[in-house]
Amino acid sequence: MDDHSPGIFERLATRTEGIFDLVLPRRAAALARKEARHIVRDPYTLGMNLLLPLMMLLLFGFAISFEPKDLAVAVLDQDHSQASAKVVEAVQGSGFFKIQASHGDPEKDVESERVKATLVIPAGFQKSVGRGEDPQIQVMLDGSDNAAASVVEGYLGGVVNSAWSRLQVERGQPAPLEPLEFKTRYLFNPEQDGHWFIVPGLLVIILGLLCVLMTALTVAKEWEQGSMELLLSTPIRPMDIILGKVAPYVGLGLFDVAIVYVAARVVFHVPFEGSHLLFMLGSFLFLLVALSQGLLISVGTRNQQVAFQLSMMLAMLPTMLLSGFIFPIESMPLFFRIFTAVLPPRWFMTIVRGLFLKGSGLGQLAVPFTVLALMAVLLTGLAIRNFKTDVEP
Amino acid sequence: MNFRVLWAFAKKELGQTLRDPRMRTMLFLAPVIQLTLFGLALHNETRNIQLAVYAPPSDTLSWEIAHRAEGGGWFHLVTPASRDPFMALQAGQADAALVAPPGGLTMWVKRGHGDEQLLVDGTNTVRAAGIQSYLDSIRLAVIKERVLPPGTEQPPRIRLVERVLYNPTLESKNFMVPGVLVMLLLMGSLTITSTSISREKEGGTFETLMASPISPATILLGKSLPFMAVGFVSMHIALFAAVFLFDVPFRGTFVDLWIASIAFLLCSVSLGVLVSTQAKNQQQAMMGTFLFMYPAQMLSGITYPLDNMPKWLYTLTYLNPLRYFAILVRNILLKGGSPELFWPNVGGLLILGVCLMGLAWSRFKPTMN
Repeated sequence: MDDHSPGIFERLATRTEGIFDLVLPRRAAALARKEARHIVRDPYTLGMNLLLPLMMLLLFGFAISFEPKDLAVAVLDQDHSQASAKVVEAVQGSGFFKIQASHGDPEKDVESERVKATLVIPAGFQKSVGRGEDPQIQVMLDGSDNAAASVVEGYLGGVVNSAWSRLQVERGQPAPLEPLEFKTRYLFNPEQDGHWFIVPGLLVIILGLLCVLMTALTVAKEWEQGSMELLLSTPIRPMDIILGKVAPYVGLGLFDVAIVYVAARVVFHVPFEGSHLLFMLGSFLFLLVALSQGLLISVGTRNQQVAFQLSMMLAMLPTMLLSGFIFPIESMPLFFRIFTAVLPPRWFMTIVRGLFLKGSGLGQLAVPFTVLALMAVLLTGLAIRNFKTDVEP
Repeated sequence: MNFRVLWAFAKKELGQTLRDPRMRTMLFLAPVIQLTLFGLALHNETRNIQLAVYAPPSDTLSWEIAHRAEGGGWFHLVTPASRDPFMALQAGQADAALVAPPGGLTMWVKRGHGDEQLLVDGTNTVRAAGIQSYLDSIRLAVIKERVLPPGTEQPPRIRLVERVLYNPTLESKNFMVPGVLVMLLLMGSLTITSTSISREKEGGTFETLMASPISPATILLGKSLPFMAVGFVSMHIALFAAVFLFDVPFRGTFVDLWIASIAFLLCSVSLGVLVSTQAKNQQQAMMGTFLFMYPAQMLSGITYPLDNMPKWLYTLTYLNPLRYFAILVRNILLKGGSPELFWPNVGGLLILGVCLMGLAWSRFKPTMN
């Protein structure tokens, strides 16, 4: 890398690396400086650390949405009447559905995956309206995407029946007054903005993934290339190696916390109701846990390929799937609900969402904080002990 | 090309990868863990809702709603420590609270009209929508059976007669498990291909390979075929587990599945080679793989719906091999493989695969000279 001219990140790193001297012992600081330069010089590592958080924010912020919109629905109108036209118009006007012409066979429409559902308005629909009967509409749903199917099911019922009430009013019949109504209020996210739900959770995903993976890989690499033995033959102590290796990633982790926080507040207008002090404490605890996990993986494997696969399994899967990020823990069977208690991201998720949206205080977050603190103590202790016994002759 | 050399080379690659017991465990553990998670643990339905009721004991209607909710199986009634429904939801002691109007709902409805306050924890927007719609359907049933005096004609309503195809009970595992198969095939083929080539580079053995009389094409095939096989095998392990343990239907034919898989493997292995030509060492290869895999998975429709994406991004997903393969696997498993869907998607994969292969080859060849 001698032909390398320092880029913006490298210059930034050389400016700021003095901070290691302030917080670390001399030898550890030197190692941390070296590690920091490795990070900024390698386009992949840098890309991973900067690009991944941005990519996730972009994807989850702008691309992935859980609100139903433009669900494709085919309509087969066999009645060709005013009443059936009104129903179709209401479905179209609701904003949830995108109407496509049916190709004639409702089952084929669904099978070809052009649409999520086909509505069949049978001949005689208008007549049965005129007679004051309960007219029928048949709906053929594609169950292979179960989430979309139940959304279509729920919205169609509402849309069709409000069209119906309007039709009745136009015919001079009084709109039936509902004798019992629900006034629904959504607490903590009154507008039900999907970004409020997703973006704070991304902090858990990004930290949980990057910190584990990067530490695991960087230490495993030293082992695999034999440079760990070289390091050990120098007067540097094992504790210095740990501090020096981990310190730059603490910095990067805190940087990621800042990115997500600013993006959430400024770009996505997510409120922050809780205490910032608690937020920093929680992030720091989780960072320690994640870095210790990475260290433990690297000590256990000493091989980058295995360390990568293991990090995916121990960090990526639980943070993405079992932390309550998208799939609610409450919906899991009892065994898994109990099992998630040993996963740090699950607790940090509660803390983050509580602080951003609910304005929870320390009293309400006592359990997650205690568990996370215990995990931090336990895992850092374990990682340091294992690393030391591993490197000592 | 010498097939004997290719065979020996591929055998060596396979042996080298499978020799590491941890790697072995990982390759066979990954399908099991992912399947268990998706088959048993992860549901995108709303379940186990903690419902708190704030109503006087004499308010029969409010309690009727609550007990019906509990009887339906999705709700558990809880009595939070807090007298204030807002505090109960904030502390996570309840997911939703029914708050009766002063004097009780029953009294108000008798006079003609009653409003029940429904407070829902909106933190998880998907869950909140689910809670609201469950309770609303219970409300309609309660009106019909308890509020309207018997014998009175209900105002006519349009009845939706529903028929759910392919997955009548709307179980999420039938949607998720095909996605897991796709991910398994990708992980096996892409990650291991790219890291195994870059490991040779990192260890300096790549030069030795170049100096040997083996042709570049043989090296490329020898490096990729074994990992295609690994991905293929782990996908089948997962498939059998999915069908026999988790009752996921397999309505299509193996021939269809194999054609689709081979077309997909063409893409994923070429991508693995492409990444490895760009990477100097294993770490770079892994991160490159990851930086591709992560968004590709999110933009494939495996877990998140494609239809909601902005137009430009939706157009971009046509370049994503995972998208075609996810549609194919789901279609073959659940719908038996409809020809009007099968060939266009296989065609898409083949076109992408040939392009990627050409690109990979043009990048790979110069590294050999």
